[in-house]
Amino acid sequence: MIYAYALAGVILAPFAGVFIAGLDRILTARFQARTGPPILQPLYDIAKLWAKEPMIAHRFQPLCVYVYLAAAMVSVGLFFAQSDLLLIFFVQAVGAVFLVMGAFLVPSPFSQAGANRELIQILTYEPLIIIVLAGIYLSTGSFEISAVYAMDKPLLMNLPLLFIVFGYALTIKLRKSPFDISASHHAHQELVRGVLTEYSGRQLALIEIAHLYETVLILGLCSLFWTTGVLGTVVLLAATYLAEIVVDNICARMSFKWMLKSVWTTGLALSAVNFAWLYARGKF
Amino acid sequence: MAAAASALLTTGSILLIGQVPIRSVPAFLSGDLFATAVQAADFALLGLFLFFGIRFKDLLITGLSAAQIAGLFFFEFVILADSHAPAAGLYCDSLSLVMVLLICIAGSLIVLYALPYMQEHERHLKPGKSRNPVFFSLLFVFIAAMNALVLVNDLMLFYFCFEITTLCSFLLIGHDRTRTARENAGTALRINSMGGAVLLLGIVLIYTRLHTLDIQEVIARVQGTGALLIPLGLLCVAGFTKAAQMPFQKWLLGAMVAPTPVSALLHSATMVKAGVYLVIRFAPAFAGTFLSTGVAVCGAFTFLSAAALAVGQSNGKKVLAYSTVSNLGLILACVGINTRSALSAAILLMIFHAVSKALLFLCMGSVEQHIKSRDIEDMRGLFGEMPKVAPIITMGILTMILPPFGMLLGKWMAIESAAGNLFLLFMLAMGSALTVVYWARWAGILMGSDFRGKPRPERLHVLSTISLFSLLGLAILLSVSAPFFHTGLLPGSITGAGGFAPVNGSLANSAGSFAVIPLFLAAAASFLFALAGSGRSSGAETAAPYMSGIAGPENGTYIGPMNRITRSVNRNYYLSAFFGEQRLSGAVNACAGILILLMMGACI
Repeated sequence: MIYAYALAGVILAPFAGVFIAGLDRILTARFQARTGPPILQPLYDIAKLWAKEPMIAHRFQPLCVYVYLAAAMVSVGLFFAQSDLLLIFFVQAVGAVFLVMGAFLVPSPFSQAGANRELIQILTYEPLIIIVLAGIYLSTGSFEISAVYAMDKPLLMNLPLLFIVFGYALTIKLRKSPFDISASHHAHQELVRGVLTEYSGRQLALIEIAHLYETVLILGLCSLFWTTGVLGTVVLLAATYLAEIVVDNICARMSFKWMLKSVWTTGLALSAVNFAWLYARGKF
Repeated sequence: MAAAASALLTTGSILLIGQVPIRSVPAFLSGDLFATAVQAADFALLGLFLFFGIRFKDLLITGLSAAQIAGLFFFEFVILADSHAPAAGLYCDSLSLVMVLLICIAGSLIVLYALPYMQEHERHLKPGKSRNPVFFSLLFVFIAAMNALVLVNDLMLFYFCFEITTLCSFLLIGHDRTRTARENAGTALRINSMGGAVLLLGIVLIYTRLHTLDIQEVIARVQGTGALLIPLGLLCVAGFTKAAQMPFQKWLLGAMVAPTPVSALLHSATMVKAGVYLVIRFAPAFAGTFLSTGVAVCGAFTFLSAAALAVGQSNGKKVLAYSTVSNLGLILACVGINTRSALSAAILLMIFHAVSKALLFLCMGSVEQHIKSRDIEDMRGLFGEMPKVAPIITMGILTMILPPFGMLLGKWMAIESAAGNLFLLFMLAMGSALTVVYWARWAGILMGSDFRGKPRPERLHVLSTISLFSLLGLAILLSVSAPFFHTGLLPGSITGAGGFAPVNGSLANSAGSFAVIPLFLAAAASFLFALAGSGRSSGAETAAPYMSGIAGPENGTYIGPMNRITRSVNRNYYLSAFFGEQRLSGAVNACAGILILLMMGACI
């Protein structure tokens, strides 16, 4: 049964991802007083990239890209199989590391700087996510997702501050401003496209697909904060993603030093307060 | 000779599987003659340390060895004067067995690698008369002392083995007889003498209270009572010095001046693992006390701070050294958490760390002999020059940080076990992220096309090749079989109810499960999928890197100002403003010292 769920998740996730990415682009356009592309534009983009004449910058790059995609797919599969949260996160990290390794293969300064910055992004969000997952464990008594669904009260009630911390991690992972430090959405800034600079054509198409999977995974994790009713889940997800888009639109890109300092201090402080609160309520 | 001895050691250790637990007091270990011999050897050893202290004009070594001689004299001839402690002989349980396997197999593979390496080493160093016979004898004495250390059940014999490993490491670090080698050997002796003195004090205190030197009896009598915390705390501190925990890390960092096989041995199978073994062995005795929490906090702090220091380093051997310190910290943090699951994590981490770290150190030795540099930046595009070793290093690094490999399994177990303690959790979470940074950064540049040197043929001796591939194979094979040997090999007291157990190829406890076998299947499938996918693009045209201008004739160059061909030079981020040694070391050592004082203070 869990294998069926996992398989269904892996097959359906990219479609959901396309829908979310399309909506993201339309909303962003509306915020900037533009009409924006059709909602299936991300799909058209991927199709167009796929049809490009094959060009690679290094012979091991395709290998890295496929591993990145595979790790994203496996982590989404594990999520829908309601597996161990920390394990899902570590499997996802395989993809992140291989994307960076692929960028390191090519001696282009943009790709190298992007790879280094992507590592700093990982450094910034990884502890926060681990702490959030530990918070979930303290509330449910288990790291398994099935335990979250067994709760009769939404996790958000126990972990309001950890949800904000998770929001930070989400913004960094989705590379939205002010944390689009390793790769910008538009290739005209000092970074060019950072960690993605040297990927093109099919490689880039595969990375886009993997990114769709990652978006679904992250929103899936986000949905765990409200599991007691479908309406609540949808509202939470919509509100969170809308907030992401607003933040993305109103912020400038900041430096990685600022990111590391500010996110770690606020993130750890908020988590500590939330943990203290759980402790006071006798949760552990 | 040495190769045959290695093979013998490995076979012997494997034959021991299935024989545990053994508890025996062989006749030759219990006679008066043997007791007197050990006593004499103890004094001779300390006398030797005293001699080195005086010769180096090192007050600390002199003082510590003099104090140990006085202490030992007082213990043997005043306290033990008329009451002979009954001989405790040998004890081999699952924990000892794991250690013996580790020491013999990893140790043997390192010796195998050392055979061609040391010949090459002497060709460069030209010491006049070959000192390799002494070198290999010392390696074997070291391995023997480690084996004895994990098998003896008598505290005084344990102390003797502990001091022998100190002596071996001192002599091996100083092997090259250069000035730095001498200085760093001195540092190692200084710090490990502190460990020895603290250990002796702990043993004397234990004997005065319990009147026994039998390790198993001590544990059985203390377990659950919360008594004897001061001597147990002293044993832990002795373990910390051996395991190079902050603030005692300096000797292990200095040890990298020794020939690479020595570093590999010190970092993986011997020496540092002796410290960890000591703490794990006595863990049941202080379970549930504040001392246990103290060990966990000190370990976690070392895990975090050594990982941060590793991020600031571009010297490959230093990165390896800090990563050892850091990983041992993680292991000790698990021991301090002291639940069944955490102890599983500690032992698994110890096994996987030994294999992967031996592999990486040995690779590093080959790289250093080939490119004459240990700087990571000089290893850019190493694949162009060393098409065998570069992929092995990359794989070795991946086994350190990614699932489904064993190190990550251990880290996963560790974090899940630590989740109930806020302070530990924060330190483990941050340390874990820092670990990914310093490894991934290194793995990334090895396989690239940023190669600048003139290609020279890679010469890898057949013995070195066997050793490297065996270690890599072991790292992968052990990771796949983790669910099985976890139950088969680890002590029953750990794998019983409440600990991790294999469920359908996963390792699971009540809080979570790690799908080892399914993940390996997924990884294998992904890898085939990736190979097939990248095979399809093999006919693709290769594009030059983007340089914001016209690319030059060679990879990595562009047409710069005045139409000159300019090479783009890349360098990784080492963030020395955050993680540099100068910036962090002082504060980190002070904090670690305070934590240890707090740990000991709470025992009183």
